Amino acid sequence: MRFATVLLATFMLATGLPVQSSELRQPVPGVHALTDVRIVTGPGEVIDNGTVVIRDGVIAAVGADVAIPPDARIHTFEQDEDQDPVTLYPGLIEPYLSVDSEPDEDENGQPPPGRHELLRPDFAVDAGLWPQDRVQALRQAGFTTAVLAPDHGLLRGQGKIVNLGEGGAANNVLIAPFGQFASFADRAGNRRFPGSLMGAVALMRQTLDDARWQHQARRAWQENPAQPRPEWLEGLDALDPVMEGQTPLVFVSEDNHDSLRIAEFVSDESVDLVLVGHGKEYQRLDALAELSLLHILPVDFPEAPEVKDEDDRNVSLSELRHWDRAPDNPRLMNEAGIPFLLTTHELSNPSAIFAGLARAVERGLDPDVALAALTTGPARWLGLDDRAGQIRTGAMANLLVVNGDLFTEGPGIAQVWVDGNRFVVEAIEPPTVDPAGTWEVTLGMGEMGDMDARIVLSGPPTSMTGTMEVMGTEASFDEVRVSGERVIARLDAARLGGSGTITVRLEIDGDRARGTGSGPFGEFTVRGRRTATPDEEEGQ
Amino acid sequence: MMRFVKTATGTLAGLALVSGLALADSNDQWTPDIEAWNSPPPPAPAAVLVRDATVWTGTEDGIRESTDLLVRNGRIDRIGSGLSAPGGEVLEIDGSGLHITPGIIDGHSHAAMLGGVNEMTRISTADVRVRDVIDSESVHIYRQLAGGVTTVNLLHGSANAIGGQNAIIKFRWGEPPEALLFEGAPEGIKFALGENPKQSNWDVDEPRYPQTRHGVEQIIREKFQQAEEYRRALDEMPSGRAGRDRVAPRPDHELAAIAEILRGERDVHAHAYRADEMLALMRLAEQFDFTIKTFQHVLEGYKIAPQMAEHGAGGSTFIDWWGFKYEAIDGIGYNPALMHEAGVLTALHSDNPELARRMNLEAAKAVRYGGVDEHDALKMITAWAADQLGIGDRVGRLKEGLDADFVIWNGHPLSVQSKVEQTWVDGRRYFDRAADERMNENLEAERADLIARALDDNGDGAENGNDNNNEDTDESPGLATHLLGYSRSELDHDHFCILHEH
Repeated sequence: MRFATVLLATFMLATGLPVQSSELRQPVPGVHALTDVRIVTGPGEVIDNGTVVIRDGVIAAVGADVAIPPDARIHTFEQDEDQDPVTLYPGLIEPYLSVDSEPDEDENGQPPPGRHELLRPDFAVDAGLWPQDRVQALRQAGFTTAVLAPDHGLLRGQGKIVNLGEGGAANNVLIAPFGQFASFADRAGNRRFPGSLMGAVALMRQTLDDARWQHQARRAWQENPAQPRPEWLEGLDALDPVMEGQTPLVFVSEDNHDSLRIAEFVSDESVDLVLVGHGKEYQRLDALAELSLLHILPVDFPEAPEVKDEDDRNVSLSELRHWDRAPDNPRLMNEAGIPFLLTTHELSNPSAIFAGLARAVERGLDPDVALAALTTGPARWLGLDDRAGQIRTGAMANLLVVNGDLFTEGPGIAQVWVDGNRFVVEAIEPPTVDPAGTWEVTLGMGEMGDMDARIVLSGPPTSMTGTMEVMGTEASFDEVRVSGERVIARLDAARLGGSGTITVRLEIDGDRARGTGSGPFGEFTVRGRRTATPDEEEGQ
Repeated sequence: MMRFVKTATGTLAGLALVSGLALADSNDQWTPDIEAWNSPPPPAPAAVLVRDATVWTGTEDGIRESTDLLVRNGRIDRIGSGLSAPGGEVLEIDGSGLHITPGIIDGHSHAAMLGGVNEMTRISTADVRVRDVIDSESVHIYRQLAGGVTTVNLLHGSANAIGGQNAIIKFRWGEPPEALLFEGAPEGIKFALGENPKQSNWDVDEPRYPQTRHGVEQIIREKFQQAEEYRRALDEMPSGRAGRDRVAPRPDHELAAIAEILRGERDVHAHAYRADEMLALMRLAEQFDFTIKTFQHVLEGYKIAPQMAEHGAGGSTFIDWWGFKYEAIDGIGYNPALMHEAGVLTALHSDNPELARRMNLEAAKAVRYGGVDEHDALKMITAWAADQLGIGDRVGRLKEGLDADFVIWNGHPLSVQSKVEQTWVDGRRYFDRAADERMNENLEAERADLIARALDDNGDGAENGNDNNNEDTDESPGLATHLLGYSRSELDHDHFCILHEH
């Protein structure tokens, strides 16, 4: 009943009818029991057949012999003998999700007065930078929590720890701010300092000393006002928690030279330095092992170089070697005792991490080490080990449902749960239908009754676009995909005045369609028929 | 990984007669690699004894024939005749017919720097440090070892009146950047006069002050004054409890480095061509009571050699590069000879990673132009180059107690026909012609193996497809980089150099 009210309210918003916003934010009670399922509660810890009870986004119980509450919706995963067991894993944690934080320049391309364009330690990833596309892609790959990290500048600013559910930052922030992000890679524009790597290092060195000085100078002036007041360097106070080791300094390293340079640069023992790695750590393991810094390692192993023809053979030995050895990198790091987390950073699609991990495991990386680097490891680093990284009572209900094993080239991730909300992962197949045309459908919202909508799809099945019209308001789909006989269309609910994403799934049978939909407010049914094809429309 | 076996004298018999023949003792199978990270450190024998060689000492001892050189624990232990081998493991090398010189020192190099040679944005970049960007992977290091170079001074470019801080490194191929730094070498800094700092050949919309030679002198003077004031303010800060509630001067790494110059704690290596502006800089330095350590390039040094000698400035020059821009038209091949005759501490530098592989021929030219004594000519790339960098008490000469950085040549070191057989740094053999040949064979085999596996991985095993999409394009300079042996970043670096000479 309440689902329908909210859905209706969402649509009514679009038509300008007054709705109290508090209703939109009302939590949806959710009690679920996932049962008859194999459970990997954490690295190396398995319950062969058990149950997980979720209540209001939190894991209420987990075990082999857990009573299913009477109010729970039951999800059972019983499999035949010859089928791979369905396994629950803890939700994966992405320790470095970079978000585009390129500043808006003024008309002359100048930074604000008194500021350097590359020095923004006080910058914070705000709600407007929510990377919706990457969030969805990560969720599809089994990630439920991430660190959002600003990606521009030398001192890039502060990140946030978020869950990867729907509803943007407001619904998902766990801890903010978190960390300070840094790099030596960026350069100032228009011949402004710095224009070289050594210049960037010099600027950073000066800035960190400026921050230390400001801390000291302001304190001295507070104690003793009878002296000239020190100048004020805007933004640098944000570095105080970094200097005092209260929050990590996450430095993005470009290569081994950079890693060693950063470690020498941040020689201050009180700074909690973490490196985002580059994948060639195996080349300088001894030197890196001495530093014993936590690394966030990419898994973007190179493809085999093209060497088919003599003409292709200009590939360098260095490139060939890296192709050959890169998949050994995580294992070698582990053997060298260098602690690391894993990241999908640098992968165009986060799901590609599994193909990489499968190769690394093939080269001897312990799968439990890999799982720890995606779950308990980052949870501990983020101070979330009491609520993330494991399937256990009291933790956030972040988990994934996998057909078979997770560390295969293409794991069968079927569902991802974030804060007790289920997201069904769509396996995409080649289109077998052409759903182009106009569809008159009915949205079934249970006790609240039905609502009419019109869906128009156009273009070839492999690259479709479309619109949905509800109660006189038309909005474009952000994404339309055809998989086999199924259409999956996604729409930012903001276009209809709500928040979150509305997803519609239709099974196409000739000119008939039926399916389901979901949104931040709950689920609904969809059924209807095609009333016109593009050709007919042109003729009208 | 390494087998080190005591070797007997005599394994090298016959070397004296045939140039180019492998010199390595057959038992030592250390093999370097073309990538530094993959190159194992050469063994460090407790003792090395080279017998019966012609030793170019770089000292008043001159060139000594039929002489033995004994190295122990990375240092030169003794030079003399009929030296007896110490107890324990000794690597003996028959040096008859061979020449030994000190390792070559290149006082002006950019061969192993990352991410730009110039921080060109500001007129003074004294806070910028080359040591932050040492490229220990640069293949130039290995190639220059093959030319006998053991120590170089990595200098910032010449885009600024006051440039960045230089880094003196030893060519310990295989070690990470920190380990290349020449421990205890004096700190230094690049200056530049003339066309580069005043932006003569730059294409800029918004010119930078200054745009004239006297403006360059003026901005340096101004920076000196600011640095003095800064240092004074620091000195006036009470220390300890008295200073606790005082607002300290804001740290300024640029002025701090310049203040070190004024206190004689940082050597100035000033890029300059013309006599007038070199005189101006020496006068300015004298007003501030310090000495310009060297002029770099110094093509008109011969015009002011007595003044340079009196001031105490060294001259580090090209021998036959001139005319490449207007301020470089008055260069002459006799410049090193004339500066040397006038009492200037004179050295020859490369400023170019290719030229650096043949520094012995630069020295030979100083014999040809001006009749410099052969031994003195060699000092221009060894002893005197070391003195200019303030490291002459450690390297540049073959003398008891100094670092065992030396080169074994298969003939007269100033001959175009001679080759380097071995190059030693800190008593370790970092280049060895026989090991180099082994390496090249290994690399070819490794490459063939990797290509076979890449073909296999691509599923192209036995096919020889008719793929026409393999043309080299500007976007994919793969072929060029492979043929030249440069990595892409190095090509960028060279591009940078060509655009903005230094």
